[in-house]
Amino acid sequence: MLDLASITEYVPAFLDGFIITAEVSILSILGSFILGILIALMRVSSNRFLNYTSLVYVDLFRNIPFIVLIFFGYYGLPEIGVYMDAFWTGCLVLSIAVGAYVGETIRAGILSVEKGILEAARSFGFSKFQIYAKIILPIALTISVRPLGSVFINLILTTSILSSITLNELTGVSKVIASTTFRPFEVYVFLVIFYGLLTFMISALISLWHRHLNRYLGEEAS
Amino acid sequence: MIEIKKLHKNFGDLQVLKGVDLTLKPGEVVSILGGSGSGKSTMIRCINGLEGITSGSIFVDGFDVSNKKELLEVRKKCSTVFQQFDLYPHLSVLENITLAPVYVLSSSKKDAEAIALDLLDSVGLADKKDVFPAQLSGGQKQRVGICRALAMRPDYLLLDEVTSSLDPEMTAEVLDILKKLAREGITMISVTHEIEFAREISDRIVFLDQGRILSDLPKDEFFAGDGGLADPRIARFLSKMGEFNGQA
Ligand SMILES: Nc1ncnc2c1ncn2[C@@H]1O[C@H](COP(=O)(O)OP(=O)(O)OP(=O)(O)O)[C@@H](O)[C@H]1O
Ligand SMILES: [Mg+2]
Repeated sequence: MLDLASITEYVPAFLDGFIITAEVSILSILGSFILGILIALMRVSSNRFLNYTSLVYVDLFRNIPFIVLIFFGYYGLPEIGVYMDAFWTGCLVLSIAVGAYVGETIRAGILSVEKGILEAARSFGFSKFQIYAKIILPIALTISVRPLGSVFINLILTTSILSSITLNELTGVSKVIASTTFRPFEVYVFLVIFYGLLTFMISALISLWHRHLNRYLGEEAS
Repeated sequence: MIEIKKLHKNFGDLQVLKGVDLTLKPGEVVSILGGSGSGKSTMIRCINGLEGITSGSIFVDGFDVSNKKELLEVRKKCSTVFQQFDLYPHLSVLENITLAPVYVLSSSKKDAEAIALDLLDSVGLADKKDVFPAQLSGGQKQRVGICRALAMRPDYLLLDEVTSSLDPEMTAEVLDILKKLAREGITMISVTHEIEFAREISDRIVFLDQGRILSDLPKDEFFAGDGGLADPRIARFLSKMGEFNGQA
């Protein structure tokens, strides 16, 4: 039977884990978003070098298991003199890996901007930078925001793998609690609830953002 | 003054413009007529630099379109109104109109908005300033498109079949605005299939045929039986457009 009383004393520990998971998630979402925009811009650039580099980046990071990347970052990099603790390694590797997916998502949005709109903008004398900042990216985002939501939810779920590099985030904490209390069922029910909470919050935020960005569609007139 | 000299434009092996010479003086209204595929849109797109030119030259008030640095000056002087409106869908009507003045001309937001509101008022859309393009009818969109172009205080207005996407009623509301502009002395090149409209507003009519200018005549001469209409290709075109049947 479910016996939550047996683990109530561990709730503060759960909360600590929850906070770390939330922190890593938020930082990595921001990091992967910024990186993803850069990658998307490089992918649609007419510069061959930028174009090719970003293509390699995307293919590379979408084709290596995350756990390999994180081991490489945490255990491999110190060998060549790059030291970071588990928290920052997690944020960095997550940002880099998820950045590849964000990049492809935003690129799809960029490619769906109508050609005529871009030509209109060019004909008015906007600089390339202005066209991207004021027209292409805002329109692309309105199209990409939904798929971005799935990418970010996946990111949150992937943070659980960081327990394998000693980070005491939700999953890591749960493993410890489960093995001390011998109550894995209750512990993992808690875990599910916490992840559910986080992904639900992100979904809700994405929905709000989607509604805000797409407010211009309104009701089509005649 | 817009000076087009020996303009050639190829797309790959396809020669679209084969030596076009055309001059537009300040205050002139010139309509470009011609069959589908004759190169009308391409010519307009060469003037504002949306297409690079293959050979020949285009100068706008002395600025060379094919010079990267001077192209910006050309674009500040020439504003285009597009067949498909091509408004910025994510911006309000007001922002659509003020974006270029603010970022390209570095006008203050306040000035740009004041000008935009005046323009909107003049086309009867003052109450629509805060809505998005998707909430407008086609005719309203094109009136915003005209405001967007005029907000740049352009020396030249380039129009490429600006009413072809509109039904007759909306066409009339847009043409009325353009007629008013023409009367007020704006300089413009207008590609159109609206022969009556061209006849009403133009000083000159240029007829393009397969990438060459077949005739470039003052309006009255163009429509005279012993002028432009004497050319069978022009006569055939006009009768196909449903006008002047029997006159040719
Ligand atoms: N980007 C392009 N690449 C290849 N061919 C093109 C391109 N743009 C136009 N053309 C070709 O150039 C020719 C002239 O096209 P253009 O659009 O200038 O004609 P138009 O006179 O405006 O015709 P319409 O009245 O149908 O608008 C056509 O044969 C068209 O297929
Ligand atoms: Mg055309």
